[in-house]
Amino acid sequence: MADRRAPALGAAAVAVAALPVALALTDRHLAGASAALVLSTAAGALAVSALVVQPLLARGGRIARHQVLGSVAFVLVLVHGGALFAEAPDDAWFAMSPDGPTRARMALIATVALLGVVALGVLRNRLPLGAGTWRVLHAYLAVVVIALGIGHAVLTDGALDDAGTTVLVVLGVLGLLGVPAAHVARTRRARRRAGPPDASGGADAAVAGSAFESGPRNPA
Amino acid sequence: MRRPWLLGLLLALVTAGIVATVVGSETSGTGAENVGESGPERVATPPPAEREPERRCEATESNPGGTNNYIPDAPTVDSLGSGFVITGLVRSADGCRPLRDVRVQVWLATETGGEEDNRASMRTDVEGRYRLETAPTVPQFGEPNIHVGYDGGAYGEVFIRRVVDLDDERAVVNLTLARRG
Repeated sequence: MADRRAPALGAAAVAVAALPVALALTDRHLAGASAALVLSTAAGALAVSALVVQPLLARGGRIARHQVLGSVAFVLVLVHGGALFAEAPDDAWFAMSPDGPTRARMALIATVALLGVVALGVLRNRLPLGAGTWRVLHAYLAVVVIALGIGHAVLTDGALDDAGTTVLVVLGVLGLLGVPAAHVARTRRARRRAGPPDASGGADAAVAGSAFESGPRNPA
Repeated sequence: MRRPWLLGLLLALVTAGIVATVVGSETSGTGAENVGESGPERVATPPPAEREPERRCEATESNPGGTNNYIPDAPTVDSLGSGFVITGLVRSADGCRPLRDVRVQVWLATETGGEEDNRASMRTDVEGRYRLETAPTVPQFGEPNIHVGYDGGAYGEVFIRRVVDLDDERAVVNLTLARRG
C-alpha cells in the first residue's frame, strides 16, 4: 500500500517544492533585479519547500533522505542570507540588529533554531540526551523553524504576495501538522515492529527505546 | 525521560522568550513609520510661525537604518521617473519656520534600480517644500523604504528611514531641523 502511494506522494512533494520558487521567480518584483537578489529569492523559496517536506519524510520513515534534505535546507538558508549580505550589506546588518523589522527577527530566530535542529541530527549519538528528550527537542525546534520561517516569508513584501501568501500559509499548516504526524507514525511503526503486547511488556519497551529509527543510542 | 517537567519548563521559557522577542519588535524596524498615501496629492501647509515666534517644534531624530545605502552628494535631478511622488516640508525646530533653499537628499529602490542607483538632491522652495517624482517603489529587504537625509550645514544631520505600502502612490516625509550646538 505504502509502495503504491509512493509515486503520488513523490509527485506531490515535487509540486510542493516547485510552487513557491516558481511563484517567486515569476513575480514582477524581480524584473531587473540583481543576480544576488534572484539567488536569494530562489534559495529562500526552495528552503520553504524543503522545510515543509521534512516532516513528511520523517513520517514515512525516510530518515536518510530526511537528513540529506535537512542539510540542503540549511545550506539554502545560508545562501539566502549570504546573498542578501552581498546585495546590500547595510540593510543586512540593520535587519539582523535589535532595531530590525519583525520579519527579520523571525528569520534570525528561525535560522538559529534550524542550526539547532541540524546540530541535534548530526550529534544525535554523541549528545548526553535520552531518546525522548532528543525527540522533543528536535520536534520543538522544527516547529519553531517552520512557524517563524513561514511567518518571515508571509511578512516579506515582494516575492510571495497574493497567491504566494496563500501557498505559504497552506504549506506552513501542512508542515506544522506534519511534525506531530511524524511522531505518531513512528510510534506506530515501532509498535508494529515489536509485535503485540505480551506478558513481558515487549511492545512498550520497544516503543520507549525506539525513539526515531535513527535516534540516540542511550534512550532515557 | 527522567524529568519531563524540567524539559517542559525549559521549552516554555524559550517559547516565552521567542514570543517576547518577536512581539517586542516594530513591524518595519525601529522608528520606521508608514508614510505612504494614495489619492489626490496634498500640499504641505507651513504653520503660521510668524504669529508665534516663541513656538518650538520637536526636531526630527534620525532612526536606525536611516543611513543605509547612503552615498553623499546625490546628484541634483528633477525626477527619477514617474508614478510615485515624495514630498515634504522642512522647517526649523526654533519657531517652526519653513526653511527655504535647504538641500535634502532622497534615495529609494524603484522599478528602475536599487537605492544606490535612485538618489537625488533637491532644495526646498520659498515655503520650505521639496518634491521628487520617481518610478514606483519596490521592496528593499522585504518592504518599500524611503530614505530622506539632511547631511549638514547650519542644522544637525538627520537621516531617516520610512516605509510605504506597495500600492501607495506618494510618501510625505517632513523634517524639522535643530540648529547645531
